Amino acid sequence: MTEGAHPTWRLPPAPALLVALLLIACAEISGASMVRFKLELARWARGTMLARPEVHGLVGVRDVDEQIMDEALTRFDGGLRLFHMHAEGMGTIIILTTMVAATWAPTPGWRRALVALLTAGGAGYPVGYLVWAALIPFRGVEDGKRLAEWLVWIPFGGATIVAMWLLVGVLVMRLRSNG
Amino acid sequence: MRRPPLVVVLIAVIVMALGETAGAVMSQMRPQTERYTRARIAANPVVHGLTGSAEYDDEVRARAVFAVEAGLSFFHTHAEGLAPVMLVAATLVASIVASRRIRAALYAVMMLGVLFPLGYLAYAAAVLELGRDEGVAFAERWVLTPLGTLAIVGILGLLVALATRRALVT
Repeated sequence: MTEGAHPTWRLPPAPALLVALLLIACAEISGASMVRFKLELARWARGTMLARPEVHGLVGVRDVDEQIMDEALTRFDGGLRLFHMHAEGMGTIIILTTMVAATWAPTPGWRRALVALLTAGGAGYPVGYLVWAALIPFRGVEDGKRLAEWLVWIPFGGATIVAMWLLVGVLVMRLRSNG
Repeated sequence: MRRPPLVVVLIAVIVMALGETAGAVMSQMRPQTERYTRARIAANPVVHGLTGSAEYDDEVRARAVFAVEAGLSFFHTHAEGLAPVMLVAATLVASIVASRRIRAALYAVMMLGVLFPLGYLAYAAAVLELGRDEGVAFAERWVLTPLGTLAIVGILGLLVALATRRALVT
């Protein structure tokens, strides 16, 4: 049987697969760690926040401070959960989209660029949630979010979105040239 | 593994790209989205049941804004989840279904089924234009249920093809 009769997928480069699998493994481990070390993580975040009362606007009144810390801890937990979910999803998406890019990119240059953008963007973006969660106890919810946005979400998420639409463009061109 | 036709892959990748973009829009343009939602509610006071009582109307607006944001959020998660699943399923169809006709039918069903997440965009838009309850009912009846059914039929068809192949081999 010829390749033309039954066209097959081309595998993505090994580093892209490795990064994607590592990301999925990190997601699994983080999911397990969130359950196993829930108390320890909350205790650490709480202690770090209490050591920085001015950052979190703690006033020394128990009722007020508890409410502020509860909200920050909910966001801290949310950041970890979002890392878990996005890393699981993006790992799979890296594997599939780099496979599409490896199969249909018009030139080796395009293939390398698309695979690099999809891999780096897809692997970097979920890490932003981990960065955000880690920054919350030190910098507060909003400042942590701003930093994570500029350091991770915008560059890596932007790279992924650009790469995905470039991939759509490549597939449309292929479809037109085939038709 | 054999690959499905290019058009099937293209549609799955478009849905994934839309899902990614929706995620960015949700986080970066949340205030603009909320402003637009409130403006559309104000432009359709009757369908949203606004009464002129500030307290009641605020509650109605808050519920509609929540429903619109939920629609966008569901679109993001379903697009990122269902499109990869359908791409893998279509690859399995290409690899194991021998009959050309059955393959074509399964591709067609899957290609439409992968559009299911767009139903949540319709859900968000319908809430704005028809009111919360009417909008949700409209999107569920005319978009989410038909497209979701096609996605399920595609997966079940693959399952039947797999079982038949296994039975034939044994």
